[in-house]
Amino acid sequence: MKSSVKLTFCRWDLIVAALILTAAGVLAAGYWGRTLAVGSSSLTAVVSAGGQETDRVRLASLSGAQERTYSSNGYTLTVRFSPDGVAVETSDCPNQDCVHTGTISRAGQSIVCLPARISIQLTGQSGSGDADVVIG
Amino acid sequence: MIYLEPIGRIRKFDARPLCGLCFKGMNMKKTLVRLLVPVLACALGTGSLAGCSLPSAAAQSDPLSAEFYAMDTVMELRAYGDGAQDALDASQAEIASLENLLSRTKEDSEVSALNTAGGAAVSVSPATARLLSASLDYSALTGGAFDITIAPVVSAWGFTTDTYQIPSQTELDALLPLVDYTQVRVRNAADGQGDQVSLGAGQSVDLGGIAKGYASDRLVHVFADNGVESGLAYLGGNVYVCGSKPDGSAWRVAVQDPDDASGNVGVLSLRDAFAVTSGGYQRYFEENGVRYHHIIDPSTGYPANNGLTSVTVVAAAEENAGDESAAGSGTMCDAFSTALFVMGTDKALDFWRANGGSLGFDLVLVTDDARVLVTKGIGSQFEQAEGTDYTYEIIS
Repeated sequence: MKSSVKLTFCRWDLIVAALILTAAGVLAAGYWGRTLAVGSSSLTAVVSAGGQETDRVRLASLSGAQERTYSSNGYTLTVRFSPDGVAVETSDCPNQDCVHTGTISRAGQSIVCLPARISIQLTGQSGSGDADVVIG
Repeated sequence: MIYLEPIGRIRKFDARPLCGLCFKGMNMKKTLVRLLVPVLACALGTGSLAGCSLPSAAAQSDPLSAEFYAMDTVMELRAYGDGAQDALDASQAEIASLENLLSRTKEDSEVSALNTAGGAAVSVSPATARLLSASLDYSALTGGAFDITIAPVVSAWGFTTDTYQIPSQTELDALLPLVDYTQVRVRNAADGQGDQVSLGAGQSVDLGGIAKGYASDRLVHVFADNGVESGLAYLGGNVYVCGSKPDGSAWRVAVQDPDDASGNVGVLSLRDAFAVTSGGYQRYFEENGVRYHHIIDPSTGYPANNGLTSVTVVAAAEENAGDESAAGSGTMCDAFSTALFVMGTDKALDFWRANGGSLGFDLVLVTDDARVLVTKGIGSQFEQAEGTDYTYEIIS
């Protein structure tokens, strides 16, 4: 009959266990820390012209309202960014659909000016009710 | 049971080892190094979680995406996986190809050839023929609430050129007789090639109310052919969600509040599905305090005004086995969203009760008296928005 390996406990066991628990803690802290950070303040307005990203504004980093101007395809839009959301203030496009859209404030929402081929999309997370995409 | 005692006493109890690592005769340092290196590398090596115990978090959190303009709207594609870039490239090529066939503002498209043929038969590709056939089927099914021959009336309002105007009643009276889908003829060739289409005298067609849905049907094949199992296509008011999100959860598709662009009336949790919304708030102009939107009622020639502010149609997305040119449920959703908006609340619900089960679609209706009506097939997938003035009903 073969003799089985005898198992004994030694101090290395506790050292290994402690290191594994520490590593797990680091992993968890990294994951949840990042998730919570994203959830609280990552709402970002991505401005694209003709399908190419031209500007990116992190709303939470704004101390107040800020206006920026974008021109594309022969039209000019004035966009108002604030911690509360984004709106196209003025546009010289013919249909004014972008101005009519009003203020957007949640991830997944967007403002599109078809004549200018400018889009402003909110990405990240803003809280409950967030969506991957908004139809309408 | 684990006894939390000093090491020496555990040995005295002859307890089983905590992790069984200490085998007599083994090289303890080597064992320790083998165990710790991968663990610590994951935890500390990169400062991120990529490639470690939570592989999907970083590796799959950022899809490949593309934004572009086609079919008179902005489109956005997102795809995950090894075939994502090929899928995005092929999708854009597919949509561009369809636009070249189906646009009525491109002079060299098949639809433009049809609209300028003066009633003569025109040879069209299988895709154009299939879509025209589907359009006629949906026109018949909706009693003409959806009608692609509305084109001359839409033009009279200026919605195709962004030169908005209110046509006179005399002008509308002259144009409305041209709105008649029964005069459109589609003759399918036996081999699928050389299909012939003709219109009635003076007629023209506009596929703007159905072409994006057809394009989304085609993207089901494109995504599948490139091995994409998780992705999303936003084609104007049309959404196709492929599979689930990389973490396995459903895609969250919000339905915009027609009265508040910053809000929504609720969120649909969808997998492998189409969702299409039509609403009068999407494109409109105002004159003398009156709002005129772009969804024209074929029976009156005026913007539909039957108690609805938006209609969302939802259906499962499935590949059409054997015929990639066939119109599927994406096409259906697109046509029905327009038709049911024209019908109004009661007729739309009657239509759903008569056809929702057999054709496999459900609805989210938003009414102008602040109700949100969700048909029972998607009731459990619909999450009401918080803090709105809407009342919500599940319709059976």
